[in-house]
Amino acid sequence: MTRAIEIGLVACESCELVMRAADPITGTCPRCGERIDRRKPNSLGRPLAFLIAAAALYVPANTLPIMVTEQFPLHRTDTILSGIAFLWSEGSWLLAALVFSASVLVPMLKLAAMGVLLFTSARRSSWRPRGRTKLYRVLETVGHWSMLDVMVVALLAAVVQLGRFASIEPGPALIPFAGVVLMTMLASASFDPRAIWDHVGPRSVHERE
Amino acid sequence: MGELAICRYCDTVHRRADVSVRATARCVRCGSPLYHGNADLSAMLAVALTATIAFVIANAFPLMTMSVNGRQTEATLWGAIVASYDQELPLVAAALTISLIVAPLIEIVLLLSVLVPLRAGARPLGFSWIMRAIHIMRPWRMVEVFLLGVVVAVVKLMGLASTVPGWGSFGVIVMTFALATLGSFDPVALWRRADEVRA
Ligand SMILES: [Zn+2]
Ligand SMILES: [Zn+2]
Repeated sequence: MTRAIEIGLVACESCELVMRAADPITGTCPRCGERIDRRKPNSLGRPLAFLIAAAALYVPANTLPIMVTEQFPLHRTDTILSGIAFLWSEGSWLLAALVFSASVLVPMLKLAAMGVLLFTSARRSSWRPRGRTKLYRVLETVGHWSMLDVMVVALLAAVVQLGRFASIEPGPALIPFAGVVLMTMLASASFDPRAIWDHVGPRSVHERE
Repeated sequence: MGELAICRYCDTVHRRADVSVRATARCVRCGSPLYHGNADLSAMLAVALTATIAFVIANAFPLMTMSVNGRQTEATLWGAIVASYDQELPLVAAALTISLIVAPLIEIVLLLSVLVPLRAGARPLGFSWIMRAIHIMRPWRMVEVFLLGVVVAVVKLMGLASTVPGWGSFGVIVMTFALATLGSFDPVALWRRADEVRA
């Protein structure tokens, strides 16, 4: 199993053309014009910055109201958590579990997992590279699912417009909430998973699993 | 060196082999997907056309209709975006516009503008630019999340009033599956075809 970096090969990130390249790489892809790099630039510093921004936005996202419901004579202001608790108390357990996973669990796990990936890469760890790669791929795929609640609230606000008898308005938490999603997506996109393998060495993976 | 594939997760070099349709070649070292066997241009064009029709349906028809005391209100995709804009949340409206309208539309239009000429045996205008744009746009479309959002919203409203999903939801369902299929297309097959055409 040969790694591209060892034999001077590099693949274009956009069109996947494999080419020979001398260090330091300064060119663009001859086929599509994309900038060529062996590794993403500053692949620890940039994700760390996005991660810190995401963690900071996580606080207002969970404490500010995300939805204001008027259902005459009731007036409810919900945060993400109180909205989930309300669903649960109404007996919509499946829905409550779904929204809880997408809105609370996924962002929290994303912050934690990204933290683990950055920490182990910064320490040049060779601990379970296959598992960490898998974790990164999960991060990439679940990244945008946290937008679920933002979309639900926007939809509810669009359909429930019966004046003061029944109306739903989106709350200010939507902005930091969408911000958390954006920042965690940028964090995982700017991290280079090849950094996980750069310190593993040539030994067989199976010995390390 | 066209027959090589480098794993973008662990940098391991592989020799490209043909894989059957719907199959995925995986990296021997880290287990990540390397490329998909999906490379049939005509099938791709059919899926892209389906996605176009589904996009129109999703945007033109209401996603759900709610009736309370004889009064009916509807939610359309655009209505959901306007609702967040009206509440002085223009950033949220912008995020929704990009992830639900701009990104999927650009992806579909760009793919069509590549697939139609390639199918006819011509190299598309601005081919490399378009391929890079598709690559950049793809992570920002969130149609599948919106589909789940429609389901959650309908179920939530059932307790409040009688709510039925509309044709727009059908469009969102079809668009979700069509875009997922388009996303699994092997870009290298398109490049190979474009290089053949030029030659
Ligand atoms: Zn390229
Ligand atoms: Zn790999």
